[in-house]
Amino acid sequence: MGTEADQGHLQLAPESFLSTDLINEIQREGIDSGRRTLIRGAIAAATAAIAVPSVRAADDPDIVNLPSWTRSLGKPVVANPYGQPSPFEANIVRRQSPGLTRTDQSSVSFTPLQNLFGMITPSGLHFERHHQGWVDIDPRRHRLMINGLVKTPLVFTMEELLRMPSVSRIHFLECGANTGLEWGNVAVPTVQYTHGMLSASEFTGVPVSLLLERAGIDRQRAKVLLAEGADGSSMTRTINLENALDDALVAYGQNGEMLRPENGYPLRLVVPGVQGVSWVKWLRRLEVGDEPWATKDEAAHYVDMMPDGTHRQYTSIQEAKSVITAPSGGQKLLKHGYYSVTGLAWSGRGTVEKVEVSVDGGRNWRPARVEGPVLPKALTRFQYDWVWQGEETLLQSRVTDSTGYAQPSRAELIGVRGTRSIYHNNAIQTWRVGSDGEVHNVQLG
Amino acid sequence: MCSWAKGVFIALLWGTAATALASPVPEGVETLGRPATDTEVIAWDIDVRPDFLGLPPGSGDVWQGEETWLAQCASCHGDFGDSNEIFAPLVLGNITEDDIETGRVAALQDSAVTRTTLMKVATLSTLWDYIFRAMPWNAPKSLTHDEVYGLVAYLLNLGYVVEDDFVLSDSNIAATQALMPNRNGMSREHGLWSVQGEPDVRGSSCVRDCDVGDGCYFFPARLRDECARQSCRAGPRLGALPRVVDCAKQ
Ligand code: HEC
Repeated sequence: MGTEADQGHLQLAPESFLSTDLINEIQREGIDSGRRTLIRGAIAAATAAIAVPSVRAADDPDIVNLPSWTRSLGKPVVANPYGQPSPFEANIVRRQSPGLTRTDQSSVSFTPLQNLFGMITPSGLHFERHHQGWVDIDPRRHRLMINGLVKTPLVFTMEELLRMPSVSRIHFLECGANTGLEWGNVAVPTVQYTHGMLSASEFTGVPVSLLLERAGIDRQRAKVLLAEGADGSSMTRTINLENALDDALVAYGQNGEMLRPENGYPLRLVVPGVQGVSWVKWLRRLEVGDEPWATKDEAAHYVDMMPDGTHRQYTSIQEAKSVITAPSGGQKLLKHGYYSVTGLAWSGRGTVEKVEVSVDGGRNWRPARVEGPVLPKALTRFQYDWVWQGEETLLQSRVTDSTGYAQPSRAELIGVRGTRSIYHNNAIQTWRVGSDGEVHNVQLG
Repeated sequence: MCSWAKGVFIALLWGTAATALASPVPEGVETLGRPATDTEVIAWDIDVRPDFLGLPPGSGDVWQGEETWLAQCASCHGDFGDSNEIFAPLVLGNITEDDIETGRVAALQDSAVTRTTLMKVATLSTLWDYIFRAMPWNAPKSLTHDEVYGLVAYLLNLGYVVEDDFVLSDSNIAATQALMPNRNGMSREHGLWSVQGEPDVRGSSCVRDCDVGDGCYFFPARLRDECARQSCRAGPRLGALPRVVDCAKQ
């Protein structure tokens, strides 16, 4: 057992969050109402003692006894031609939510937001959402076609796209179903699963407006774009031409290198502020049209169910949202004293204007420190100084964006939209810190 | 409420875009990219819109559809499209004559009812387009046009939308779309299509002594216990290694 210094002040969130038994039950009984009762209902008695630090020696052995790495020759260059995270970070990975989907190819893996810093998501930790598996595409055989209401339908090779004038921009990418499990009730314990269909990258590519201009877009009739993938699903989504001409990109670069295959290598659409499903991966075609297409993922899914049974179709924009990523669900505060409460805020309609934090479940709010740069349709990191003396605390964050829109509470959101929508849940998140330091996902009201 | 009353909404949100400025094309960039050939466009432009632009001619009946279904679809979706094994059920036979009459599936208001594909989808073009482009899931783009017509006819028949002797073709597909049980169930009256859209919900900007109701919160015990058990396994260290706690002893 290590010294107190080893233990740190914050215990990490658990590796996974459901026992094998519970996963099996969920897989047998499905994820809908069955799962909810299951999770609500059963109360197991198990408690786990937390490691108690051993008696501290006067001198820190990690200082006094020089460790092996201080007394040996290190490894050579190019030991890893492509650099890897430290083996001590092996727990910081994307994780699939057990029982959420029935197959691994039409499924989701979530970004470990609780362990990340700043405003960029490492490419290898970018969440995944595929509908028909992911593919490895030979870039020499990939083409982009532009057709529909244009003067000349065109074909581009990757080489030609890479030769065109490019732009690089930092944007968030959030799945429309992020936080979707939480509409009905508390369903998952950690921020990885409540908010981890969220990431941000610097994307590099060619403005869609330039490509449409090159093809001779019919400005009189054009109103929408269809984006289509080259994978088996050939995912299609209708894109608002207004967005496309404003700031959409046909991107090949992500955080300074080519896109990762799971994120659409060699080419994907980037539609800042719009939900992830519209950022079509493995992009092979853009068609200019005058009417929306009602594709499968805008007619059977990604439609937001309202209390009267109506579905809102073509909901696309990700409205302003924020979440505290640490301390967050599943973590444990091991010591009293100072904590920098930190999290992320973003808005699909502009920039983050301000972030406020409440430590009493929304009764009182105080401003958080917003870290720059604050960029449009990007993640913005915030921090809030907090001294914890062991009192039970309900932590919340609330963002207001550059349009003046303030993030709604859960009660405000479900008051209008009910609880059965699945999509576009941007409610204020509450984390309860118990007097034992344990942090849990809770819902007020 | 019929949400396909396109008038104002479409004029407002679907009509303004093309006037926006596109980027000027720098000199020399026009040499990048080449015109697509007709054959190339036909090979890739397979989308079918709700007005059936893009629909290839053809036909298929319920019986042919059933045959293809049993051979190529039933293993994942069940013989009657009702399986919950691989994906949510496509059809469950819970659509009523009343639904087909009104174009609104009443059962969607009941949260106890499983929402199937046929209960939700308002446009038949969606099913044609999707099956042709993406199904069977493990062998997409292997179906003929006529097979897709037959499969769509079979799914409609399972949902009691068409009779057993029905033949779906490019000439009656628009009339058949007008029978879709939830054809009036979609709304575009919301602010989430456009960046300039009007939000339907706004949060409070109260900062002191705000009303938070009764202050009660919901806290599921089962998840709490799982967290405790698994945190033990991960250990309190910053990194993944080494594991400092022997969970088995606890
Ligand atoms: C290997 C398993 C498998 C086979 C075989 C298969 N499907 Fe599917 N099907 C799926 C999965 C998985 C999805 C969901 C894909 C996604 O998440 O986007 C799906 C989705 C669908 C949907 C859309 C449902 C919705 O609500 O999104 C339709 C319609 C459909 N399949 C029809 C068919 C037809 C017709 C066939 C036979 C030609 C077929 N499927 C064969 C696995 C299969």
